[in-house]
Amino acid sequence: MSETNDNPGAEPQEWRVVFLNDSVTRMSYAVMVLRKLFGFDEATAVQHMMEAHESGRSVLWLGVRENAEAYAFSLQQWHLCATIESDETS
Amino acid sequence: MKRVDVRLSIPAVAPLLDLIKSVAEELRTHLAVPIALAEADAELAAVWREDLLESQREDCDRLFSLFDQEFFSEGVISFDRENAEAILRACAALRLRFRRTHLASISDETLEAIEASTNIGNWDAAEQKAFACFMFLDELQKIILKYLDPMAPEEE
Repeated sequence: MSETNDNPGAEPQEWRVVFLNDSVTRMSYAVMVLRKLFGFDEATAVQHMMEAHESGRSVLWLGVRENAEAYAFSLQQWHLCATIESDETS
Repeated sequence: MKRVDVRLSIPAVAPLLDLIKSVAEELRTHLAVPIALAEADAELAAVWREDLLESQREDCDRLFSLFDQEFFSEGVISFDRENAEAILRACAALRLRFRRTHLASISDETLEAIEASTNIGNWDAAEQKAFACFMFLDELQKIILKYLDPMAPEEE
């Protein structure tokens, strides 16, 4: 997907991959998926899972849009709710 | 390759399979988790949708390949590193779909309490059967995660 850049001198926008809580998915499954897709160790994956469970969301990754999209797609493939957000949406 | 054989009660599981298959049929055309890519263009979302649906279909087919003639004669299904991930995903998708459809009228709190106590005596028959499917799929996930965790190093 292409994006137009109206301000070529500006810092590139950062995108967040946000993991959203759902009430169905087994926690041990979510932890396994986060470890597999993001390379987190067990403690970090559990921390993200608990943050999502308690506050509804957890930011998993920050970077360029193409990579954020790829991560979000992979999370969808494993049936975890996720979205991406840019700096502008914060 | 490590393999886990699970002996199931045929009279208990066989009646659940038709309902699980009907829900899997819905997953051929409906995503278990709606695409949450709010800012994506329609073209990208459409490509994602098709790829995700294809992935769901393949995973569900893999799950149902467990319930072959051998299962109906011996009651045994087998997991290994080759099928574990697809079956984990299929179970996740099916559980989400059950929750959105057959178990939609039940609150999260009630479902959580029932999962702990499995006391579903006052539900109607259709909900009881859907819940049994929901829990059966959860058990399959538990077994795979316990014995074939994709993140665990493979044993020789």
